[in-house]
Amino acid sequence: MKYLPYVLKHLKRNWIRAASTLAGLVLCIFLICVLQTVLDAMRQTTADADPSRIITRHAVSVNFRLPLSYKPRIQAIPGVRNVAIWTFFGGIYRDLKDYFPNFAVESEDYFRMYPEYRIPPDQYQEYLHDMQGLVMGSDVAAKYGFKIGDQIQMESIQPLYRVHGPMKFNVRAIYTAEPARASRVNLGLAFFHFKYLYETVKDSAGSYAGAGTYNIQIANPSQAAAVMRAIDANFENSDVQTKTETEGAFLAGFVNLIGNLSGLLNTVGVAVAFTILLVTSNTMSMAVRERRTEIAVLKTLGFSGGLVMTLVVVEGLALGVIGGLVGIGLAQGAVRYMTQLPFMGFILGNFSGLSVSPVVIAITFSITVGVGTAAGFVPAFGAYRARITDMLRPA
Amino acid sequence: MASVDVQNLRKVYTRDSQDIVVLDGMHLQVPDGEFVALMGPSGSGKATLLNCIAGIDRPTSGTVTVGGTDVTSLSEGALAKWRSRHVGFIFQFYNLIPVLTAVENVELPLLLTNLSKEQRRERALTALGVVGLADRATHYPRQLSGGQEQRVAIARAIVTDPDVLVADEPTGDLDAKSAEDILNLMETLNHEFKKTIVMVTHDPRAAARAHVERHLDKGVLQR
Repeated sequence: MKYLPYVLKHLKRNWIRAASTLAGLVLCIFLICVLQTVLDAMRQTTADADPSRIITRHAVSVNFRLPLSYKPRIQAIPGVRNVAIWTFFGGIYRDLKDYFPNFAVESEDYFRMYPEYRIPPDQYQEYLHDMQGLVMGSDVAAKYGFKIGDQIQMESIQPLYRVHGPMKFNVRAIYTAEPARASRVNLGLAFFHFKYLYETVKDSAGSYAGAGTYNIQIANPSQAAAVMRAIDANFENSDVQTKTETEGAFLAGFVNLIGNLSGLLNTVGVAVAFTILLVTSNTMSMAVRERRTEIAVLKTLGFSGGLVMTLVVVEGLALGVIGGLVGIGLAQGAVRYMTQLPFMGFILGNFSGLSVSPVVIAITFSITVGVGTAAGFVPAFGAYRARITDMLRPA
Repeated sequence: MASVDVQNLRKVYTRDSQDIVVLDGMHLQVPDGEFVALMGPSGSGKATLLNCIAGIDRPTSGTVTVGGTDVTSLSEGALAKWRSRHVGFIFQFYNLIPVLTAVENVELPLLLTNLSKEQRRERALTALGVVGLADRATHYPRQLSGGQEQRVAIARAIVTDPDVLVADEPTGDLDAKSAEDILNLMETLNHEFKKTIVMVTHDPRAAARAHVERHLDKGVLQR
């Protein structure tokens, strides 16, 4: 410990260079922490999916609509217990920055198969009886100060849904999460009656007035594969073919709309870590090369080669530790607000208390400590081996 | 008993498969408490001799005994430990650590001891007092003149109370006035603190302050 002030003073010696290297390390750790946290949250989202629920969508893309006539045909397939339309509306409240995901659903069927959404019975009845009723998550209500009875307008980002301008809604219910299944509930969403959407756009949207997906509850999760095959087979010879998958696979597929995110983020993380290793190594090498004479002086004073080597390694290590702690701290702060970003909020919404996990902290801190130590080791070994008389000679 | 006893010292460098003899069977005795000046032209081997006495270079053959210890037989680790206790080195260009204050520079060799932080600081301030710079303790090297920097370097060399002080052209980078101050200080260390001093110099005025002048040429002591 008595050598630590000496090491830290050297870090301040060329503060611009040290600060630049630290900034690089901080950025590296920040990126890795954030990317890994996003990946973890996405994995958790799909892992928490209910195995008794399957989702039927357009075979080409979730962006196409399914005919409304499909519902009774799906309902008639053995093993299907409940079917509800779920359609992404994409309504913007006030401004894009105020966006919260909202959906048109067949309310009674939908909320019956999603019991984890806890809606006070009286509010729910009010909602069911109001064509323009809106039920929203408690996070949305808290964020915008909505109260029961408030009237709001939202205009869809989808052109075919906004032909008639913004749609009006009455806040009728605010849902919370069933405690036992809280991780499955995104409190940042809003739902309204699909019938309201359909009646509004049926004359102008054509086939786009159809169903986004059919969310299906099945009687026995172990028969999910057979039911899914049966549904798709039912529409195999139709104009609009379907693709049915489990809720988990559907969510995973939604995430993968933006590509192989997991692979991409991991590749970026590794590339960033390797780059910062090179940058830190270069910094340490320059720092040691500049101090040839000082290292010779230390050895002349009686500092052993091992001690000099340790001091240089600790200098690199200190860079790594400081960079790691700052990077992790910034990432921890950033991910808390990530769910408030429009698109990320939709994907990560179930994790309103999102934070960098202890495992990610341990991994990234190990990386930064490893990078700092590795970066200091090579020049430190050079200092260890160098002869005093050679280092005292002008370079 | 001689404080420094050099016997049949030989140092040969090999450059491009060619042997260059720097010290050629050197014998030198420096009695305890003596102030010796080593003079000679560039390449005569005086700095190499000084480095061998200080234990920062190893001879090809021969022995160097300082204070009864044969430094040529010590391992690298033991040699480093020996240097920290028995030798104070004064460089031509002071070689202070720029990020440390005067007192921190002087304290540096004491980090290798078991002294407490307070004891280290007290001794460093005492050493700075000996060289007349107690009032500059918190100044950084860049805030000191060349002469003051060299005095700090001397304080660093004496702070562990070594047996021998070795100085490599201690006045070589100083103006006449500062050089005079440094030589006065070295004389004081020799007279009052009984330090054995071996000094390499090109300056006849500096050499004149020593008890003994020894001249080297081509790796051999001339007189």
